[in-house]
Amino acid sequence: MKSWIGFRSLVWREIVRFLSVFSQTIFPPVVSSFLYIFIFGFSLGGHIEQVQGVSYLSFLIPGLIMMYAIDGSYANTSGSLFISRWANNIEELLVTPLSYVEMVFAMLIGGLTRCLVTTAGVYLVSLIFVRFPVAHPFEVLYFLVFVSLTFSSIGLIVALFAEEFEHLSIITTFVITPLVFFGGVFHSISMVPDALKWLTSFNPMFYMVNGLRHGMLGISDVPVFPCMGLVFLMCFAVFLTTVYLFRIGFKLRK
Amino acid sequence: MLPAISVNHLTKFYRRFKALEDVSLAVEPGEFFGFLGPNGAGKTTTINVVTGLANYQSGEVRVFGHDVTREYRLTRAAIGLVPQEFNFDPFLSVEQILVFEAGYFGIPSREAKMRAGELLEFFSLASKRTEGYKKLSGGMKRRLLIARALMHRPKILILDEPTAGVDLELRYLLWDFLKKLNREGTTILLTTHYIEEAERLCGRIGVIHQGKIVAVDSTAALIRKMGGDRMEFYLKNDVTKVFAGVSSVPFTVESSGRKISFKAGEGAIPAVLKILQGHGVEVEQIDVRRPTLEDAFLKLIGKKGDGGA
Repeated sequence: MKSWIGFRSLVWREIVRFLSVFSQTIFPPVVSSFLYIFIFGFSLGGHIEQVQGVSYLSFLIPGLIMMYAIDGSYANTSGSLFISRWANNIEELLVTPLSYVEMVFAMLIGGLTRCLVTTAGVYLVSLIFVRFPVAHPFEVLYFLVFVSLTFSSIGLIVALFAEEFEHLSIITTFVITPLVFFGGVFHSISMVPDALKWLTSFNPMFYMVNGLRHGMLGISDVPVFPCMGLVFLMCFAVFLTTVYLFRIGFKLRK
Repeated sequence: MLPAISVNHLTKFYRRFKALEDVSLAVEPGEFFGFLGPNGAGKTTTINVVTGLANYQSGEVRVFGHDVTREYRLTRAAIGLVPQEFNFDPFLSVEQILVFEAGYFGIPSREAKMRAGELLEFFSLASKRTEGYKKLSGGMKRRLLIARALMHRPKILILDEPTAGVDLELRYLLWDFLKKLNREGTTILLTTHYIEEAERLCGRIGVIHQGKIVAVDSTAALIRKMGGDRMEFYLKNDVTKVFAGVSSVPFTVESSGRKISFKAGEGAIPAVLKILQGHGVEVEQIDVRRPTLEDAFLKLIGKKGDGGA
């Protein structure tokens, strides 16, 4: 019971944190997704023929949602933990009887909550432009939850390694954004040259974007079950790594 | 009865620097224990190991018999830490800081809010409950640190230099409060380099210097070890030459020969008076210096104090 209260308190603290700066955490993705959908999907997309049997505008929505799911989850945990290390209030947490698994999991739930709030916002914006029935709601939930937990864990790992604020955005700019873009947010793999097709098969984001696209539209460049398996394994691996780093006190304990 | 805190042969490195070397000490339940040492001696490092904020290389640290590494949940639940530096959550208000911290310790929200209200009232912070901690003065932040550590009513309260940079009024207030808390049964471990603080509050004292424990004893015993009173005679004339050949009393001549100080006891006072009378030197003033913990401390860490023999 006590443990549950501690866990719940930390989850709530993580939510209070991102809500207290909602103009930096919730608004920007909603506004920029509006721009993406309007310019790429609505304006330019009108000149693109159908992709895998759906309009380009519809094709674009799941990719964008996955992009913001990844971005929001990573930004939430990396920002929260790095600021806690920087302001030293991580010590407030480290002296409490919460287990390392509880600490990590509570922060991940914080990342997941921000991801769900943000992606719900992006989805609502998309309804202004296009509406379609969701093909497989369970798959949508599955990919959102596991991808969010994965990138929330990665956010925590990066926040532990980072020495400066810039290090957090370096990963976003040079790793996450390129991989998400090449993972097929804006295009199908059938549109790119063979060499890039081969390279894309090593990009985990490709399976995440396509998994969600299958969930929302029923179309995908690859079968959905391998995508589900890969996302689950990645999530499990980075979660264990994060708990291990907390357990040994990597850059947390002196 | 199991010690509240027991540290056995603790050694800790920061990379190659040996911060703690074979540190052993025990704090008994209900005790008010002072941990004394100059800056960088290893006080905070020892506390950090006990509370889970620092790793260590060898040794064993237990809290009420539980190992701080293997049974960290039990040991951390028993301790309230007042750190030296302010380390508040920048996203929370003063009241939230207390309520969330209590939550992490498993205190239900309603109970936590009630306790926060009481402590904010007691520490005169109630009017600031909705503010961020950055809006508080230094003294207020210090009080908030203590309130936060008390939210889960810990059996052991560890305070790392709680009165550093605190004005006199608050210092006396805190001293009274800590004494009361200790009387009510809370074990207290306090680090300080204000000797007066340790002397007033602590029943027993451990002295650490360059990562090693150099003494652990009752405050009274540490002072007693310094020997008897020290006499200081202020004189009308320069006595440098008068005492030039005297070897019966170990003494120090200061202030251009107009002050002589020596340890009282074993006929020292009559002997000095006799010499002075013999040379017709008048005594203007006599001071008696009781040895203090400061003298003991300075002696232990190898610096010569005024009263040091």
